[in-house]
Amino acid sequence: MAWRRVWRACPCASNAIGIQRSRMVSPLPHLRLLSSLLPLSPPPVRRGLAPLRSYMRVGGFSSQAWVDVPTGGVVEVPLAQTGEGIAECELLKWFVQEGEQVEEFQPLCEVQSDKATIEITSRFKGKITQILFTPGDIVKVGETLLKILVEEDHASLASECLDSETTLNSGSSAPDSQGSLFNEASIDGVLSTPAVRHLAKQHGVDINVVHGTGKNGRVLKEDVLIYVANKGIGTPTPSYGNTEEVRMAEGNKLYINAENNKGYEDKIIPLRGFHRTMVKSMTMAAKVPHFYYVEELNCDALIELKAAFQNANSDPNVKHTFLPLLIKSLSIALSKYPILNSSFLEESNEVILKGSHNIGVAMATNYGLVVPNIKRAQSLSIMEITKELSRLHQMASNNKLTSEDTTGGTITLSNIGSIGGKFGSPLLNLPEVAIIAIGRIQKLPCFDADGNVYPASITNVTIGADHRVVDGATVAKFCNEWKTLIENPELLLLHLK
Amino acid sequence: MSRAKDLVLPSMNLIIMKSSPILRQLRMEEKLLRSTSENWCIINDGTSDPTIVMGVSGKVQELVNVESVMGDGIPVIRRFSGGGTVIVDGGTVFVSLICNKGAVPGLQPYPRSIMDWTGELYGRVFGGFGDFHLRENDYAFGSRKFGGNAQSITKDRWIHHTSFLWDYDVKNMGYLKQPTRAPKYRLERHHMEFLCRMKDYFPCRSTFIERTIAALSSHFSVTLIENKTIIDPSNTKHATSTKLLTKQELEATLSSLHENPTVQQVLL
Repeated sequence: MAWRRVWRACPCASNAIGIQRSRMVSPLPHLRLLSSLLPLSPPPVRRGLAPLRSYMRVGGFSSQAWVDVPTGGVVEVPLAQTGEGIAECELLKWFVQEGEQVEEFQPLCEVQSDKATIEITSRFKGKITQILFTPGDIVKVGETLLKILVEEDHASLASECLDSETTLNSGSSAPDSQGSLFNEASIDGVLSTPAVRHLAKQHGVDINVVHGTGKNGRVLKEDVLIYVANKGIGTPTPSYGNTEEVRMAEGNKLYINAENNKGYEDKIIPLRGFHRTMVKSMTMAAKVPHFYYVEELNCDALIELKAAFQNANSDPNVKHTFLPLLIKSLSIALSKYPILNSSFLEESNEVILKGSHNIGVAMATNYGLVVPNIKRAQSLSIMEITKELSRLHQMASNNKLTSEDTTGGTITLSNIGSIGGKFGSPLLNLPEVAIIAIGRIQKLPCFDADGNVYPASITNVTIGADHRVVDGATVAKFCNEWKTLIENPELLLLHLK
Repeated sequence: MSRAKDLVLPSMNLIIMKSSPILRQLRMEEKLLRSTSENWCIINDGTSDPTIVMGVSGKVQELVNVESVMGDGIPVIRRFSGGGTVIVDGGTVFVSLICNKGAVPGLQPYPRSIMDWTGELYGRVFGGFGDFHLRENDYAFGSRKFGGNAQSITKDRWIHHTSFLWDYDVKNMGYLKQPTRAPKYRLERHHMEFLCRMKDYFPCRSTFIERTIAALSSHFSVTLIENKTIIDPSNTKHATSTKLLTKQELEATLSSLHENPTVQQVLL
């Protein structure tokens, strides 16, 4: 672990383009890392890190890739941090093109993050060999923007650790980046992390010949292990220094298992699209104090009504389910308890009672969890709700929901019971204050008024609510109201307009 | 004493306009940002006609109700800085700050740093008149926005410009769609529940302008420049990217809207 810390603090691959930094940034001495890796150069003095650095230098690296570092080379240039909390930017335009010669500090492109357009300038003098994004693309912080063939006298610049402490300690690392921003090097043309390069060296493998299966041809740990297993390569290079010994022991173990690893490898799935949004929304929801209220609903009447609808239905495109009835009765109950159809404004301690009952229905699709909502359910008939639900379901399955469909919801229903389960503790769909999970309908024995046992269709509902806004008594009363309407759906007639 | 202080503060040229067309103002700002090396503050007290101003990127049909905009002949401009869409008119007061990197000691040339610094600056302007906050990227009284911001950061300079809602016409907000990208504190509120008017908190526009200049004077040595001496944006060499969308361009967005209405967003 100490070794890894050294590596992070001393990113030899910090060849990121940065915005021209203000001179106010803390002035750390620049490191000529390339020269320090060559066998005979003295260790550079680095504030606070000198002892650890000497382990790296003293050992030296025997792998060909490190000793014969080219003096010029293709540098992959990532999008650097442009400010706190900014994880990605939209590329607006390029000022240069492939094959063009650029000077140091020459503007390369313009990106947009939130409210700002930002000009990105080059840190190197060289020739643009490859441009990897087109205007309109979203680029994550740390992703390679372009490749520059750096001229010979600028090669050492390509490995400088520029203000690494400032950047790494700024506490503003992008939440989506995988590992340190400056941790990737590809001075010799192959993209991989320092850890993977070290693994390759330990096995005496030239990383340039390993086939990379990661993004943009990145060589991953698994690629090296598979290569080693296939080639049956011998023992790693001897260890040196305490820190290195620990690392080498690990390396040996890795080697022993390399041959057996096929079929047992981990698979890395970067989270994108709906999944990625789910990470953000659930993290925020977890901060809200939830409380849960569970109730049993007798669905006998509901089942009878659904059957009646279906029997009278002449339209083959319409399929009647329970949800529209649950949604309509929910809307009526919300009219009596509007606090459950509200939003909470933390900064001003205000609750907005929403005028529309925009009832969200959670849907599990192949693309992930989505929650489109039915707008103004209080003004819709059960038939209209049925059709709208069907439309939303269709759109969701084809990944064609519009922003209009998925924004503006005021309360959410999750019919998880259609898949399975009895109880749940669903997380709020912020900024809503209530969410309702409906469990599976089960045939259970019940007692009637005369004490006789009869089979009843029972479902459990779990209402999750924001306890800053709503108390248990309110939820209980609201749920009673809803339950009455579901178990006695003829009462819906009283609300017919 | 104040003279000595002035000597160490960087200079800033101040331009004050009244009811200047926003297109002219934006083109001028872009020129001043890209072609000069001085610090500038541009104040425009209201613009001539209601105009929609969009950020540098973003699809018109997603941000604006194109049919009603075309029907009512509302101009639509795409500016050179980032950020969202606003509709501005005679009730909008504009304040733009163009600075060299390093003009404000210790201020890092990043969007957030600049935004926070302006929050402090305007905190001094609005202090005592209302519960002023910089909420994410907006200026607000309480949780209601009255000032929207946008920035552009170049190699050596930056611009931070603001449109302040001294007053606004509710009818005009109808031309704008509910934005898909919105600050968290907006909480899905419609314009009417989300915005407020500066005039409900401030005595008069000139007080606001005077106080803004006073706040800037603690960072800069401010000099008023005659509008006539400013470079005319129409006759400089470099074209500006700020543009007024043509009728044909707006019509084209209408046809694409009907063909391909797919924008995906998951409710947070």
